[in-house]
Amino acid sequence: MTAERTHVRSLDDPDIWVDSPATIFDAVPPYPPRSEREAEFYQLRDGEMLINLGPQHPSTHGVLRVVLKIDGERVVDLDPVLGYLHRGVEKICENGDWHHAISNCDPLEYIASMFSEAMPVLVAEKLLDLQVPRRAEYIRVLAWELNRISSHALFIGWLALDLGGLTPILYGFIERDEIVEMLAALTGQRLLFNYLRIGGVNGDLNHDFLSRLGDWMSRAGRQIEHQTQLLNENEIFVRRTKGLGVLDRETALRLCLSGPPLRATGVPYDVRRAHPYSVYPELEFDIPTRSEGDSYARYLLHIDEIRESMRIIDQVLHQMPDGPVMGKIPRLIRVPPGRAFIAIESPRGQYACYGMSDGSDQPFRLRIHDPSFFNLQAVGLLTPGNLIADTMAIMASLDPIMGGIDK
Amino acid sequence: MDRRLKRHLEQAFGDRLHGPVRQRGDTTEIRVGPADVIAVMRELHEGKHFRFEILADLAGVDTGEEMWVVYHLWSSGSPDWLRVIADGLPRDNPRVPSVTFLWNGAEWAEREAYDMFGIIFEGNRDLRRIYMPPDYTSFPLRKDFLLPDDAARSPGEGFRHVEQPHQPGEYRRRPVVRAAKTTRAELAAGEGSTT
Repeated sequence: MTAERTHVRSLDDPDIWVDSPATIFDAVPPYPPRSEREAEFYQLRDGEMLINLGPQHPSTHGVLRVVLKIDGERVVDLDPVLGYLHRGVEKICENGDWHHAISNCDPLEYIASMFSEAMPVLVAEKLLDLQVPRRAEYIRVLAWELNRISSHALFIGWLALDLGGLTPILYGFIERDEIVEMLAALTGQRLLFNYLRIGGVNGDLNHDFLSRLGDWMSRAGRQIEHQTQLLNENEIFVRRTKGLGVLDRETALRLCLSGPPLRATGVPYDVRRAHPYSVYPELEFDIPTRSEGDSYARYLLHIDEIRESMRIIDQVLHQMPDGPVMGKIPRLIRVPPGRAFIAIESPRGQYACYGMSDGSDQPFRLRIHDPSFFNLQAVGLLTPGNLIADTMAIMASLDPIMGGIDK
Repeated sequence: MDRRLKRHLEQAFGDRLHGPVRQRGDTTEIRVGPADVIAVMRELHEGKHFRFEILADLAGVDTGEEMWVVYHLWSSGSPDWLRVIADGLPRDNPRVPSVTFLWNGAEWAEREAYDMFGIIFEGNRDLRRIYMPPDYTSFPLRKDFLLPDDAARSPGEGFRHVEQPHQPGEYRRRPVVRAAKTTRAELAAGEGSTT
């Protein structure tokens, strides 16, 4: 029996009538293929079927929909469908002034928003040729590295959760909660800090923050060792991540990956060293890399990076200079016309921004390059041939954040 | 500023460059026409003086008069970011060759630029909308796409953007109409023009 074809209102635009009861939420789209690749993907061979993973599946870390083409339990091909969280941040930024852009960019990378909110700040500073007070630079680095640790701690928990282990996420949240409370003492906000300003930061370090930081630093190392032992020596975890989702150096570079997925293939590309910014040239730290390129290597790399971040925090606290935390700049900033590109190393890779100014107080164009957006593309290459359950493991090891992917 | 890079760029591309090689701060900038993108990018990726292995960003830009595609490249051999601007794409039919033959990771970035600006990347196998729904017809980041939200300082205040169909090839400057501010009473009655 075939389904009766009726005229129904499109879910996307109620003014449009479509002649199929199917909606764009169905696995098989109700419209003709728009590209070569789409036509190829939605053609099923014998024994193949399409299923939807998401957009509300917990393992997709947000509202990602992945249409899986499966043959039995094996994934043959997949087609990620984005846009469920699209807010048009770039357009909104063009319509507000440079200060608005800071808080508009905050929710992009909502796990580590200290990085995404730096985008308009750094671009405006570069266009203005602004020298930021050294104390402000050190505070920024301190906040960035703390945020990196909280994000990585959560990543480890998520990866285990997607493999079916509940405990590590609880440990991850302990770590993350302490850091988030600490940053709340500094910035006034737990998640979307809105702390960086063009020309400095919003406030100086305070007693509440420093006492929480000292308290946490005294046991963080031990705590993280304890937490990672749970996974490093867990046979189920190791077997489900080792040798899974293997990338080599060439492929990773061609896929425009950055961050841990790229460094797990042996490319030491970390913007903090590759194109230094802020006060990173004055600090001593290593760029951990691995050569295996699989999910397990990506996981181990995150732990190594937590250790390096702790090293950086230690140095920053010892070298922290005195002085103002905010440069003397006018409230209404008219950024001189020009083009500027900046990149920083976020927990997920290179977070970059290309800004254009036409001389007004609003950005003319603010292009935000989100590393998760590029890293997520790798699932299309890594999952075919694997089991459905391993799709989640691979996706989790790439650590996508939908807020940044969908912008 | 990387003087050596500038010299190599001038030697390798010469008269294919639109304008001089510009250097400011830690960025070197060249401009090329869309027809030269394939040759220039291949040389930058594989040429022995360049080896720009990492595509740091791919962005579409609408300047109001023309469209650009802006590439940012990174190489371990140069301390600079290299910005390659493919300029002079006509707004009514912006076309540029795809760079997916060098970096297949550019596929989604190009889909995004297509979705937001309507730039056609020739050679991209999967050029369809990535964020907006498939039956959407406008290109939101174009400069003639006005935001209806009066919280934003856009001249489009009072418009509903879904009422402005926009096809590639149809560009006309819309009159800037400022609607009267919605009153509190209208908002309470649910008749507000905006969210």
